[in-house]
Amino acid sequence: MSRGQSSYILLSCMVMLLVAAVAGLAFNLLTPQGVGWTPSHVSRPLWSAVDLAQAAQLQKDGALLVDARDPGDYKLARAAGAVNLYPEEFDLLWPLLGPTLRQAPAVVVYGRYFSRWPAAQVAQLLRGQGLTKVYVMLGELSDWQKAGLPVKTPRRKRP
Amino acid sequence: MKSLGELISLACRLFLAGLFLWAAHDKVWDPASFAAAVSRYDLIPMGLVNPASVLLAWLELVVGLCLLVGLATRAAALWSALLLVFFTGLMIYAGMTGAGFDCGCFPGEAGHPAGYQAALRDALMLLPALWLLVLPGRWLALTGRRRKHSDRLTLSV
Repeated sequence: MSRGQSSYILLSCMVMLLVAAVAGLAFNLLTPQGVGWTPSHVSRPLWSAVDLAQAAQLQKDGALLVDARDPGDYKLARAAGAVNLYPEEFDLLWPLLGPTLRQAPAVVVYGRYFSRWPAAQVAQLLRGQGLTKVYVMLGELSDWQKAGLPVKTPRRKRP
Repeated sequence: MKSLGELISLACRLFLAGLFLWAAHDKVWDPASFAAAVSRYDLIPMGLVNPASVLLAWLELVVGLCLLVGLATRAAALWSALLLVFFTGLMIYAGMTGAGFDCGCFPGEAGHPAGYQAALRDALMLLPALWLLVLPGRWLALTGRRRKHSDRLTLSV
């Protein structure tokens, strides 16, 4: 392959990337199903953020903790008293947990934060269900544990 | 012999075109779902998930269209190979972490779990892309026709 051919291929690759970027941007701006830079539960939050101390205080005052992580993580360890409600199965779990959550004076949701923020997503969904006092804890379970707050882990079976 | 090479190139091109167009269709049309699928791998920061998933979906579409009409076939084949190498790596990573969720590669509900099997599938799909890099072919290709036409023009001048 000559140098000219290689340059032509690289240039074509760049043009393809540019076309994809421009078309993707235009489609997202002009169509109703377009997505923003960040998900709506982050860019237009209906919930309030609380730090670790505030979350612990809210729990003391009767708030219910919601663990928005995957059920596998929840089974391994969770904040004491937390129930598991995660975005992927929200519609399925809401009818089961809804009555309990509605009775709680406030709800504090926690989870992981990197590519996605399931806690914020669940909090947004809870607001959508009519709950008014919904908070997202800015911190993960490890932070909760490091602060000496109670964590529940499965009991080891005796050999 | 040359015809056989052209036939294989055409088959590889149309196969890859179909594959990328099929894969891109839902991702382009429903970017929120695809962004959610990308975020499940937990590999890129949240601020980049939406832009990266939109770019990836549209790149697949552009590559698929270029392969379909035979426009800049080698460049499209190079993108195909790069994307498939990336997907293979991603599936191996998913296999190592025991992800188990739908890979988000193709339309359909939970029909393609992320993991080693998907990695093998993507690695096999690399073969036609590599073939096209070496022999892009000219049958039913826009680039080939244009080149022939320009050759003729050069001769007439």
